[in-house]
Amino acid sequence: MRGLIDRLRGVERDIVQPPDAGNGPYYEPQGSEIAIFEAAWRRRLPVMLKGPTGCGKTRFLEFMTHRLGRPLVSVSCHEDLTSADLVGRYLLDGESTVWQDGPLTRAVKAGAICYLDEIVEARTDSTVIIHPLTDHRRRLMLEKRGLEIEAHEDFLLVISYNPGYQTVLKDLKPSTKQRFVAINFGYPSAEVEARILQNEVEGLDAPLAAQLVAIAHKARALKDHGLDEASSTRSLVYAASLIAAGLPPLEAGEAALINPLTDDVELAMALREIVKAHLLAA
Amino acid sequence: MTEDPEARLALIISELKELSFVAHRDLTAALPALEAHGAETVARWAATGRDLFLHDRDGGKAFLRASPGLAQDVGAVDVWTEQARGFLTFRGSWKALTAYLAAFPEAVLVLGLNDARRWGDIGLEWARRHPESGAVFFETPVTDLACGRGFAGAWEVLGPLADLACERGLPVSLALPGAVKIRALLGTEALMAWLTRGADVLKAGRLRGEAFFRLEGPDSDEALMALFPGFRTAEHERFLVLITHAALGVTPALAPAGLAVGAPAFIETDGRVLFVPPAFPTREQALAALLHHAGHLRFGTYERAVIERLFAAAGMAQPPLDADQRITWRPLFAPFGADLVRFQVLFDLCEDFRIDARVQALMPNHAARLLDLAAIRPDGPAGAYFDLARQSLRVLAGPIPATGPWARLIAPEADLVTSWVEARALYEESALPPLCLACRDAAYLPGRSPNHARPVYPRATLHEKPEEPDADPRSTPPTDRVAARPAPVSAGHDPDLELAPEDTSGSGGRVGVGKPQPAAPTARRRRLRPPGEGLPYPEWDYRDKTYRRDWARVVERDLTERDLACAQALLVRHAPVLHRLRRAIQAEKPRRIAPQRRQNEGEDLDLDAAVEFVADRRTGARPAPRLYRRRRHLLRDTGVLLLADLSTSIMQQAADGEGRVVDRMKAALLLFARALEEVGDRYAIAGFASKYRDAVSYYPIKDFARRLSPETEAMLGGLSGRLATRMGAAIRHACVRFGESAATRRLLLILSDGRPADYDDGGDERYLHEDTRMAVKEAADQGIHVFCITLDALGSAYLERIFGRGHFLVIDRLDDLPRRLPQVYLRLRRGA
Repeated sequence: MRGLIDRLRGVERDIVQPPDAGNGPYYEPQGSEIAIFEAAWRRRLPVMLKGPTGCGKTRFLEFMTHRLGRPLVSVSCHEDLTSADLVGRYLLDGESTVWQDGPLTRAVKAGAICYLDEIVEARTDSTVIIHPLTDHRRRLMLEKRGLEIEAHEDFLLVISYNPGYQTVLKDLKPSTKQRFVAINFGYPSAEVEARILQNEVEGLDAPLAAQLVAIAHKARALKDHGLDEASSTRSLVYAASLIAAGLPPLEAGEAALINPLTDDVELAMALREIVKAHLLAA
Repeated sequence: MTEDPEARLALIISELKELSFVAHRDLTAALPALEAHGAETVARWAATGRDLFLHDRDGGKAFLRASPGLAQDVGAVDVWTEQARGFLTFRGSWKALTAYLAAFPEAVLVLGLNDARRWGDIGLEWARRHPESGAVFFETPVTDLACGRGFAGAWEVLGPLADLACERGLPVSLALPGAVKIRALLGTEALMAWLTRGADVLKAGRLRGEAFFRLEGPDSDEALMALFPGFRTAEHERFLVLITHAALGVTPALAPAGLAVGAPAFIETDGRVLFVPPAFPTREQALAALLHHAGHLRFGTYERAVIERLFAAAGMAQPPLDADQRITWRPLFAPFGADLVRFQVLFDLCEDFRIDARVQALMPNHAARLLDLAAIRPDGPAGAYFDLARQSLRVLAGPIPATGPWARLIAPEADLVTSWVEARALYEESALPPLCLACRDAAYLPGRSPNHARPVYPRATLHEKPEEPDADPRSTPPTDRVAARPAPVSAGHDPDLELAPEDTSGSGGRVGVGKPQPAAPTARRRRLRPPGEGLPYPEWDYRDKTYRRDWARVVERDLTERDLACAQALLVRHAPVLHRLRRAIQAEKPRRIAPQRRQNEGEDLDLDAAVEFVADRRTGARPAPRLYRRRRHLLRDTGVLLLADLSTSIMQQAADGEGRVVDRMKAALLLFARALEEVGDRYAIAGFASKYRDAVSYYPIKDFARRLSPETEAMLGGLSGRLATRMGAAIRHACVRFGESAATRRLLLILSDGRPADYDDGGDERYLHEDTRMAVKEAADQGIHVFCITLDALGSAYLERIFGRGHFLVIDRLDDLPRRLPQVYLRLRRGA
C-alpha cells in the first residue's frame, strides 16, 4: 500500500478523488462535531467550520469525507479569487473554445464535498455565487453559458471561517453566514491534545506530550496580552516533530512555539520561560 | 605667661573658677584622668578647654566632659587637643566639635592614629567652610566611611565629594550620608555618577536636591534604578507580569517597594499589590520570587475565609482590622514573646513550601530554580533554617518521597491553617536555634520573603468569586462605580413629584421608600430636560425586549478646552513612535500599488482576461473589453470614525506608570490622527460622555471633511474626562454622523476604558450592556463595522457579549496605547 502511495506522489491527479478506502486520516473528536456533521450531511445542509488557526478544521473535514466515503474538493480562497475561478471559464483551443469547469462546478456535478477554505478572503462576487447552492434550490448558475446545474444529490458545501480581529472589516455578510450550519472549533482539551500529539508524532512519550500541551495552555492565556494568535495544536505538532527529529527540546520550542507567534521581545521572553519550565523538566 | 606648666594650669583653673562653675567643675573632674600624660600636655589641654569655653561655651563644656574618656580610650591627648584647637577658628563650632570628640575613638580604632588625624583634618576643613557640614562629617560612622579599607576607603567617598564641592558648590553635608550608603551598595564608580546626577538635580531645585540626597523621591529612584546592579524590576515589569499570568493565571499588580539600601530583595504584599524591590541580584531570582509571591495570591495565603480560620485555630476570635480594613498579623505572633522570630520563620517556611509545591505543579522547574538560587548557606543560626527549607524543596524537585509535615503540606486540601499547625509542631519539636531579628532575613531562601511584613487586605475566596480581584488593579478603587451612583435627591423636593410620567412604568417601588431597587435602570429622581434639546434616540430595554422610543437624547457640544502646548509636547515625546509609524505606512504604500485586474485601460494586458475575452467572443457572447492591468493607488475606500469615551474614569492615575489615563489617550488620538493623514483615509474623531439619558454629549473633534489642523490638535491636547458612559446612544449618533462620509467601508472605532454605565442605570450593568449590544447590531445592519479598543484589563469578560468575538481588543498596558491604536487601525484596514 505504502509503495503505491509513494508511486502516486508527484503525479498529477484529478481533483475529484474518492477517498482511499484504507488509511483514514487521524482525528480526535473534541465534542459532538462528528454527530453534527453527519446529521447535516444526511440532510445535505451546508456547513461552516469556525475556529482559530491550526485547531483542526481541515483535518476534521478530511476525516469526515473519508468516513462518509465522499470525494473532497478543496479550494483555498484568496484576495483575487473570482467567481470564474470557482465556476469555470472558456479557454481557447486552436480556433475554437472549450469550457473548463471550475472546482466548484466539478464538485457539484460529481457529488463531492466542496471545501472553501477561509472564504472571507475571497472577493464578494464569489461568495454570492454560492447562495443558490446553499438553500433549498441547490443550484449552481453558469452565467456565461446561460446554464444552471442542479447539484448532485451527494454534493455538500463546507466553508471555513476564522473570526479574528484582523478580519473585522471583511466579515462574512450575515445573509451568507446564516445559510450554514456552524460548528465551533476551539483548541482541544489537555488530554485530547496530548493524545493528538502522540498520534501525530511517532515515538513521542506521554510526559513530553503533556508538557507541550501545558506550554500551549499557558501561552493561550497570553492571548489578550499582546499575542494575536495563540499556540495552535498544529504548532505543537511541529514542536513535537522537531524534537522527535532530534532537535534539543528548547530549540524546538523556540522554533515552533515562540518565533512564529510573536515579535514582541518581552512576550517572547515570557514564552521562553514557559517553554523552559516544561521542557527542561520533561 | 609663665613657663611652668603647673603654674599655667593653676592659673587656668582659677580663671575658669571665676568664669563658670560648671566648666570649673568639669575641668577638675577630668584632671585625674589626664595627669598621667605629663604636666605640659595637661596645661595645653586645660588651655584648650578654657579657650574653647571662651569661644563657645557649649563646645568648651563638651571638650572638658569628653576628655577623660578620650584620654583613657585613645591616649594621644596632644593629637586631639591640637585638633580641637582648630575649632577655635570659626563660629558655631560646638556641634561639630562634640561630634568630633565622640567619633575620634572609633576613628583611631578603624584608621589608626595617623589616619585618624588626617580624618580629623578633613572634617575640620569641612567644618571651617560650613559648621553644619563638619557636624555631619563627624557624625558619619567611620566604619561605614572606611568600608573596611582604611583611609583609602574613606577617601573613595570623601575625594569625589571634595571635588564636587569645589567644582559645583555641592553642599557636602547634604550628600555625605547618602554617598556612604550608595558606595556600600553600588560601589565607587556608581557613586561618582550618583553624585554628579545629584548635583544636577540640586541645581534644578533645592527641595528636589535635598530629597535626592536623602534617597527619596522620583529623581533619586530614577537615578538609583539606572545604577542598580542586577535584574531591574522596572525594566522588566511587563515580562514578569506576562510570565505570572501565563504560568499561574493571575495578573499581579506590581508596585515599587521603595529603595531599602542594602536590604535583601524581598517582595512584600498587602494582599492586592506585590511590592517589588527595584532590583533582584539575578533574573532567576526575580522569576522565582515573582512566581512564588503570585502563588501566595493564587493559592490562598491571604484569603479572608482562611485567615479567619487561622485566627480561630490560634484561639483568637476575629482577625483585627486596621483603619483601612486590613488585617494585622501581630496578635497572631504576640504569644510567642521573645521567640517570635523563630516561630515566624518556621510558619513562613511551611507556608512557602505549600505554595511552592503548588507553583511547582504548574511550573515544573520552580523548585529546581529555588534550589539553584539557594546555593550559599548563610552563617550563624539562620543556616539551620536555610537547610531545613532546602531539604523540603528537594522533596519537590527530586525523587525523594514527601514524608511527615511535607507530605501533609503537599496534600491538595492543605491550606494556610495546615501550615500553621505544622509550623507549631516544628516549633515545639525541633531543636532549631533561636533567631534574632537581625539574622532573620538570612533564614529565607532567595526568592522567598516574610509573608506577614505588611497588613493585608483579605482576598475574596476563589470559590465564592471566580473573578480574580487582583486581575485589574483599577478595580479596587471603584471610581467608575462611584461616578455611576445615582445622584442624591436634592433637599426639599418630593422625589415622586419629580418623576416624569413615563418613568412610572417598570419595576421598583416608590423612590426613597424601603430598599433601593437595583433593577431600576432609568432615572426616577429628576425632571427631564425640556424636549427639543438634542436628538432623540431609542434605547433597548432587555427586560421588556422592546425599544424605549426617544429615550436617550444626544446633544452635540463643542469642546472648549484647547491645549496646543500639551499636544505638541505629546507629539514630541512620541516622536519616535510617530516616525516608526510613518515608515511603516510608507513601506506599505508601494505594496498598495498592486496591479488591478480587468480594467478598461491600463499599462499591461491582463492575460487571463484577454483569453477569457477572446473565448467569450468566440462563443458568441459580447463580453466587455476589460483586458488590462493597471498599476495605481488602490483607493481602499475606508472611512473611520473614532469615538473616544471621555468619562470621568480617564482622569485616573495610570495604574502602571506616571501620569493619567487621559494623557495616553490624548497621545494615542494625536498619533492616530497623524497616521491617518499619512495614510489618506477619511476619518473623523469624536468624544462622548453622558449624564442621565437625556443628556448624552457628543463632542465632534474632527469631521470627515476637514483636514487635521492645529486647532484640532489643540482640542485633542485639551481633552479631559467628565461624567459617565452611555455608549449605545453615542454609537447610534455616530452612525448618523457617518452619513457625511461617502466611504463604502465604514469602521466605527470605539476607544474606552470601562464598561457602559450611566448615573441613572440604577446599578444594573446589564441594561446599558444590552442596549450597547443592540446599538452595535443596528450599526452592523447599516454596514458599519464596530470595533472596540478597551483599556480595561477585565474587558474580555463583557466585551465579547457586546461587540462579538474578535470585535474588540484589550490593551492592558497603558503605555502601549499610543503605539497600538494606529497600528490596530492599520491592521484592521489591511485585513479588508
